[in-house]
Amino acid sequence: MNRLWTVLSGLGFAVAAMMPWVTFALNDGNYPAKSTLQFFDAPFLLTGFRLHLLVIGLLVVLFTFLPLPGRPRILRAAGWAGGLISLVNGAYITFKGGGLGAITAADGKVAFAAFVGVAAGALLIWSGAKAAPGIEFSWPERPSRWLAYLALLVSFAGLLLFVAAILTSGGGITNPYSAGQFMSFLAMAAGLIAALGATGVLRWIGELSEQHRYFSLLVMLGCALGLPFTSAGNEYWMTVAVNIGVYAATAIGLNIVVGLAGLLDLGYVAFMGIGAFVAANLSGAAAAAFDIHLPFIFAAIAAALVAGVFGAIVGSPTLRVRGDYLAIVTMAFGEIFVRSSQNNIGGLTGGSNAIPGIPPLELFGTGFQESISIGGYKLAGGVLYYVLIVLLVALVMGVFANLKDSRIGRAWIAIREDEDAARAMGIQTGRAKILAFLIGATLAGLAGAVFAHKTSSVSYESFRFTESVTLLAAVILGGMGTIPGAVLGASLLFVLPETLREFQDYRLMLFGLALVLIMRFRPQGLVADRHRRAELTTVDDPVEVAAR
Amino acid sequence: MSELLEVRGLSVAYGAIEAVRDVSFTVHAGQIVSLIGSNGAGKTTILRTISGLLRPKAGEILFQGTPIHALPAHTVLGMGIAQCPEGRRLFARMTVEENLQLGAYVRRDDGIQADIDKVYDLFPVLGERRHNKAGLFSGGEQQMLAIGRALMCKPRLLMLDEPSMGLSPIMTQRIFDTVAELRDLGTTVLLVEQNALAALALSDQAYVIDLGRTTLHGTGHELLADSRVRAAYLGEEVA
Amino acid sequence: MAAYLEQLVNGLVLGSIIGLIALGYTMVYGVIQLINFAHGEVFMVGAYASLACYLWILPPDLAGTWYIALPAMILFGSLVAALLAIAMERFAYRPLRGAPRLAPLITALGVSVFLQEVVRLFFPDAKQAKPYPTPFIEGGITVHLGDGQFTIAYIRILLVVVAIGLAALLQLYISRSRMGRAMRAIANDPDTARLMGINPDRIIVWTFVIGAVLAGVAGVFYGGYQNTINTDMGFQNGIFAFTAAVLGGIGSIRGAVVGAMIIGVVKTIAGQLPFLGGTQYDYVWIFVVLIFMLVFRPQGFFGETERVRA
Repeated sequence: MNRLWTVLSGLGFAVAAMMPWVTFALNDGNYPAKSTLQFFDAPFLLTGFRLHLLVIGLLVVLFTFLPLPGRPRILRAAGWAGGLISLVNGAYITFKGGGLGAITAADGKVAFAAFVGVAAGALLIWSGAKAAPGIEFSWPERPSRWLAYLALLVSFAGLLLFVAAILTSGGGITNPYSAGQFMSFLAMAAGLIAALGATGVLRWIGELSEQHRYFSLLVMLGCALGLPFTSAGNEYWMTVAVNIGVYAATAIGLNIVVGLAGLLDLGYVAFMGIGAFVAANLSGAAAAAFDIHLPFIFAAIAAALVAGVFGAIVGSPTLRVRGDYLAIVTMAFGEIFVRSSQNNIGGLTGGSNAIPGIPPLELFGTGFQESISIGGYKLAGGVLYYVLIVLLVALVMGVFANLKDSRIGRAWIAIREDEDAARAMGIQTGRAKILAFLIGATLAGLAGAVFAHKTSSVSYESFRFTESVTLLAAVILGGMGTIPGAVLGASLLFVLPETLREFQDYRLMLFGLALVLIMRFRPQGLVADRHRRAELTTVDDPVEVAAR
Repeated sequence: MSELLEVRGLSVAYGAIEAVRDVSFTVHAGQIVSLIGSNGAGKTTILRTISGLLRPKAGEILFQGTPIHALPAHTVLGMGIAQCPEGRRLFARMTVEENLQLGAYVRRDDGIQADIDKVYDLFPVLGERRHNKAGLFSGGEQQMLAIGRALMCKPRLLMLDEPSMGLSPIMTQRIFDTVAELRDLGTTVLLVEQNALAALALSDQAYVIDLGRTTLHGTGHELLADSRVRAAYLGEEVA
Repeated sequence: MAAYLEQLVNGLVLGSIIGLIALGYTMVYGVIQLINFAHGEVFMVGAYASLACYLWILPPDLAGTWYIALPAMILFGSLVAALLAIAMERFAYRPLRGAPRLAPLITALGVSVFLQEVVRLFFPDAKQAKPYPTPFIEGGITVHLGDGQFTIAYIRILLVVVAIGLAALLQLYISRSRMGRAMRAIANDPDTARLMGINPDRIIVWTFVIGAVLAGVAGVFYGGYQNTINTDMGFQNGIFAFTAAVLGGIGSIRGAVVGAMIIGVVKTIAGQLPFLGGTQYDYVWIFVVLIFMLVFRPQGFFGETERVRA
């Protein structure tokens, strides 16, 4: 009986996708007026979201009879994906494409039965949950080395293509429907990820990558460097990717402080700002306070060092202050930084004029912003910045991964879980906490140095409280204490505003809302740290009536 | 004799750990009923569940025939069930008088001040220091205040959790005498104790709780005479 | 000399605004140990709501009559602020009660950003500062001192009186009333408070409401003497107010008021002293005070005594 419902909803998706053809067949060409054959030069040739929906629908029918492991969750994921795709596109067609009538058939070619798709999605979410669970299947726990390598290669390569597809799904900023297409694609992607998660393959890959950490880091690095060769390899996306990379590196640094050591830092972006200003002043820019032009590598080191020193200073109150009071102290430091740089303190920050004209980086006479060609293949401009930032993120990831499993990393986690107990066990909590601030700030300073050269102008406006909140949101959204979490969070929070330009005004509002909703419904973030418990989720104790 | 409180098949769990398993007992009006058992047996959990601070996993709690296990704590108190919690839990930074006023929080009548004076009659030491902070009192005095505070809502059922904890033998006796006095004045008492000897001597009915289950039941004197009880809780060799 | 005295008076006026906001911080923190980061936003929303009342609710012929306009604006501003606080508590904070402490703090941050943006985006023309009327007798008292003179607007005098009066009333309410006792009981020991028949949800909502009403009052006066409001005002003054609450000893009513006066005076006087960097750096000094206070005397000047948590 239940199979009937899931099959029906699968067919519903197909019908939604094929509605123009369906209306044509049912109405013998009379309704709607434009439903004549020449408007459907190729009725079965679906592209874009309608193709996705059709594929989802057919797969749903297939999965109804195919006892896959985790079938109920797969079907539900498909229901959400299909329903959301229908909802997003229905809304777009209605509001931008010519009114309610357009939901069924407007100008023929993009006609789409959104309400059928939404209804089918709802039906599938409801009925899918009750589907019979598929066969039991467990992924090999310790597969042979070569199998593991192969699995990792395939999955990371898949991830690369997936990311590129997501990035370019909006069809560029000139497309008036880009936001809608992007969201629709995102819904499909989320459904796919959820379905894969249901089969257990994601966790398996995750475990494999833990077992073969260095290999997977290498593959990831390779894949990241491969992005310029994909559909996303144009100058626009390279620039976006560099921005993401800068913030991802910073977010990983923040993740050391917040995620590992459990110290909430609300002024973290100031360290990135310090790094950027240091690099700007040493870059030989006309507006710089010093008339020297250090090679980038030295400027970057100086930026990291200065930021680190400030990190230690800001972190020093942790010796006496804890918890939410510490958060306030860090916020106060952040505000002092903003106010001071706004007033061009010591002539170092340019105040409201910023420090403009920072020269782009160069290597053997080639500017990083120029396009280069490798073996006859012409790569987009800004690729070198992209490579640089990928290497930086890889470095930061390496630092984070090594720290997490080191002595000091365990000390941080102990402090996060219970500071008094950690102290009682002989951990020098004060030193460990300051070290967390110092390392986090150093990484942020490094990212700031790259940021300065990439944007060519550094202003205090890039390092205000909202920026700190955004970074924090990235870390929390992605999942505290995890690397993929920080990268994923930074990507989402900095890609979404790019692709959803029509909602750009609402960016901060949505961030605020997201923070509230995440804390309420998924405090561990999208990528949960398996070891992480105490700081954000309650001990599993459902009987205690929650009214404290 | 009417049943004031009836607990049927009560189970309470903290996460996966079941602290109370299928416990049943009855409290008749006008009696002192004790739950005795060692530390960690689940006695406090039972009281907290009756008070509505915890939710049972299974079972029923009936007060005068009405199910109360799904009600919030403040409603349960309004029905006439007061608890004097383990460790007394006074509002340490507030005065004696304020603690007593809080005990009468749910009351809206004019008799509150008169009842506060009654508590002072019962425990004169409290009356003498009514404006002192409760946290400054000795253990015995704090216990008196805790009982007085629980009495302020005019409960039909008074639940006392380990009233003898941390008290000297003399003070323990003093408290138990007061409990007997309260019963004679018409208050029904549900007493949780580790001090089995003193509790059983006082009780009309008693239940032994062990590892979250009721294992024995009888009148106070029957259990006092029971060799298993004597061996387990009074430290005697099995004869 | 007159300039310094004028700044001192300005400091007390600013301190009164900060104090009214700080009371909300101190009450909520005292009862449930939450830094309600979004409380500054409640103040901001109160100000915008009262402006809306002035612009669109009051009939134009009544809007000019201060003894109608001022109470109406205060009433409406406080009402909206209170409703907002109730919604905030119900949907954002209550579900997190008992969760580890970082969670509600992050939520509060989110609520704060969210509210600020909502007003900025959806209140007509709120992307720029909005002009705000003075709903009181125009003019003021002129003080002559030596060769200088300055004027204290009547609304500023009224503000100081109202702020101190409300704080005194609140102190009385907390220490004498049944509700006030219940608040202190929850602050002291929430579980046992429930055993007394106290419904914590009701008391906590009430705590939020009291704070919000005071913030709403502050919002009207702030607009009334600044003659302009903007969506940043909640964040900035919220930080000042939080600093004030910490300075006075968080949980303490009296401490919040005294702390606020100190903050107000520090800001205006620091703005007057060139060697402290002048007005460009006055904010910085407040943050410096905040850091020093949190690091060296987190219990504040009024320490353990005289608190909601008493």
